[in-house]
Amino acid sequence: MKKYWKDFFTAIKCGDIWTRFSLLVMGVGYWGHGQVVKGILMCLIELGFFFFTGKVSWQYITKLNTLGTVQREEVLDLTTLTKTVNDYDNSLLILLFGIIGILTIAAFVLLYISNLKAVYRLQMMKENGEHIPRFTEDCQELVNGKFHVTLLTLPGLGVLLVNIIPIIFMICIAFTNYDLNHQPPTYLFTWVGLNNFKQLFTTTTTVTFGYVFVRVLVWTLVWALLATFTTYFGGILLAKLINDRTVRCKKLWRTLFVITIAIPQFVTLLLVGKMFGDYGIVNGICSRIGLTQFLQNIGLVSHGLSYIPFLSKPGWAHVMIVMINIWVGVPFQMLSATGILMNIPNDQLESAKIDGANERQIFWKITMPYMLFVTGPSLITAIIGNINNFNVIYLLTSDYVTSNMNFANSNAREVDLLVTWLFTLTNDYSNYKMASVIGICVFIICAVLTLVGFTRMIAGNREEEFQ
Amino acid sequence: MKKKLKVIWKHVLLTILSAIWLIPIVWLLVTSLSAYKGINTMHFFPEKWSLDNYAQLFFRPDTVANFPAWFRNSMIIGVACCIISTSFVLMVAYAMSCMRFRARKPLMSFAIILGMFPGVLSMIAIYFVMKLIGLTNSMLGLIVIYSAGSGLGYLICKGFFDTIPVSLRESAKLEGASQLTIFTKIVIPLSKPIIVYTVINSFLTPWMDFVMAKLMIRSKNPQDWTVAMGLYNLVQRTLVGNYFSVFCAGGIIVAIPISVLFIIMQKFYVEGITGGAVKG
Repeated sequence: MKKYWKDFFTAIKCGDIWTRFSLLVMGVGYWGHGQVVKGILMCLIELGFFFFTGKVSWQYITKLNTLGTVQREEVLDLTTLTKTVNDYDNSLLILLFGIIGILTIAAFVLLYISNLKAVYRLQMMKENGEHIPRFTEDCQELVNGKFHVTLLTLPGLGVLLVNIIPIIFMICIAFTNYDLNHQPPTYLFTWVGLNNFKQLFTTTTTVTFGYVFVRVLVWTLVWALLATFTTYFGGILLAKLINDRTVRCKKLWRTLFVITIAIPQFVTLLLVGKMFGDYGIVNGICSRIGLTQFLQNIGLVSHGLSYIPFLSKPGWAHVMIVMINIWVGVPFQMLSATGILMNIPNDQLESAKIDGANERQIFWKITMPYMLFVTGPSLITAIIGNINNFNVIYLLTSDYVTSNMNFANSNAREVDLLVTWLFTLTNDYSNYKMASVIGICVFIICAVLTLVGFTRMIAGNREEEFQ
Repeated sequence: MKKKLKVIWKHVLLTILSAIWLIPIVWLLVTSLSAYKGINTMHFFPEKWSLDNYAQLFFRPDTVANFPAWFRNSMIIGVACCIISTSFVLMVAYAMSCMRFRARKPLMSFAIILGMFPGVLSMIAIYFVMKLIGLTNSMLGLIVIYSAGSGLGYLICKGFFDTIPVSLRESAKLEGASQLTIFTKIVIPLSKPIIVYTVINSFLTPWMDFVMAKLMIRSKNPQDWTVAMGLYNLVQRTLVGNYFSVFCAGGIIVAIPISVLFIIMQKFYVEGITGGAVKG
């Protein structure tokens, strides 16, 4: 960091007239040192930047502190019967363009500094009588030594567009009062500091976010652990069963399970959801064979119901969701476990057998440690994936209606995960501020999990082991 | 004798399990062949069989179900995403695995941090951004959304590239090959399994996703929808009574291209996953 600034200031101090002049017009330095095309490009970039900032984004950046003050007003001119709208502020556009404007300014400053340094390097090269690369040579360098720049530019821009800007935007929303009553363009919203976070942890008779948040959080974590480990072990056991030496037609069995993957998940989930619906086929069959009656007698189903509430009452729904998720997830896990099981060093298994270990011992002492070693990092990813598992919950519980007033007050249901709650809040109730706060909480949970489990991977010390 | 019992027991267990796994699929299939349009709640098999649902799907598009248009839309989006996403993933993975530059480690950590934000959170913001650019309500917008961020999913592919012997690349370099040549002539031909895996995954995303599509495409005209959106719409409460078996037929039809992909590439698929995942 220190070196970064030191280089910059040496460039200003020791630079010649061309170098110093490029503080003002970025291309001049290249120009003066014999790189004309690059100079022109730099000039154009600078012009483009000032044009964009001055013409478009600056007016929004100046309003960022209040997010707009002029509310939209329509005046109906009675003589001509035309509506005129005043020059109103749109908080949403101010925030969005403000973010984009600030990002471009930051990018420009970085480019500006690196430009000066590059020009200074060029000057040194000229003074030392080195060969100044021509423009074609620079271009060639882009597919060779600087190939990573070429490779990363487009994907980077894509990520900026659909990941970084939206995430910054939503984080900002968490500190505003953007909700149903403050929707642009008709109304303004503004900064409210940490109020939304306070609201998330308060429980009163009217505001129940605190209570609901804890309940939903607990269910989310329980779900993530249950869903991950049931499918994980289920998949391994199934793979082991199919790959057993004595089992015939391995390919046939594998195909039978893989068929379920071929049908898109949303189709199977909707289908299974309908099967287990209150008046679905499973309930039809259960009442015919008397299972509903039996469950009522032992008290698992309340007497007021004529059906088994598989997906419409808490408890029942929770269990069913986990079960259905096993159905959905095990074939996937089976596929990848098959590949890994085949890779287990055979000599270990053989020697264990010679030493007289039985199958169970081999499974727990050799197979499982090996599996855990190989798939450990992906387990963490799977848990995070399940915390964010939107489809299973959303598609299975579309008919679920909560009867708990506390949940209803916060637009949540007992079976909601944090992410489905977030989605309902934005999509159905336009409560963007609370949704953003919940989103940030999900991020924190995932971040902590990742830090705990992934430190090895981020450090990346072992990535060259196999090369 | 005891051994034989064990073998039989294993086969019985497998039969029961596969039956459990297949029941919903069989139900999907038989319901799609039912003459009754709603959900049959009393009988597993339909009372009257017919192929009418498929005929309706293909030849009689109406105001809520326009399957040919959905299929075409999803196909276009799927192919476009497939090309863009796969090239993005390969590009990022190559840069992160085979090149060495100063910003590499920070960028990798940054990508992991970005991945931890829930996708649902940014959905609505993406909608605002797209509205700003004027890409809502268009297939182009959906293609951008599905493929632009795909560079972040480079990790498995990078894991695979990491296993390609570094000596191969170095000897090519000594022979005077540029990084571009190494990338296209050495690394890519060696990575067939992982490319297949990436291609399948990116092709399937637009077929499976309905939330993002529903958010982006506000058009009420079924001609502009994707398969996932359209089928989801068919089982909403007001329509399910008349369209459930049509929905089932649609599900079966959608499964065909996907299963063909799987059958051709199953071998690659298993190799692809584990090749990238084995890294301890």
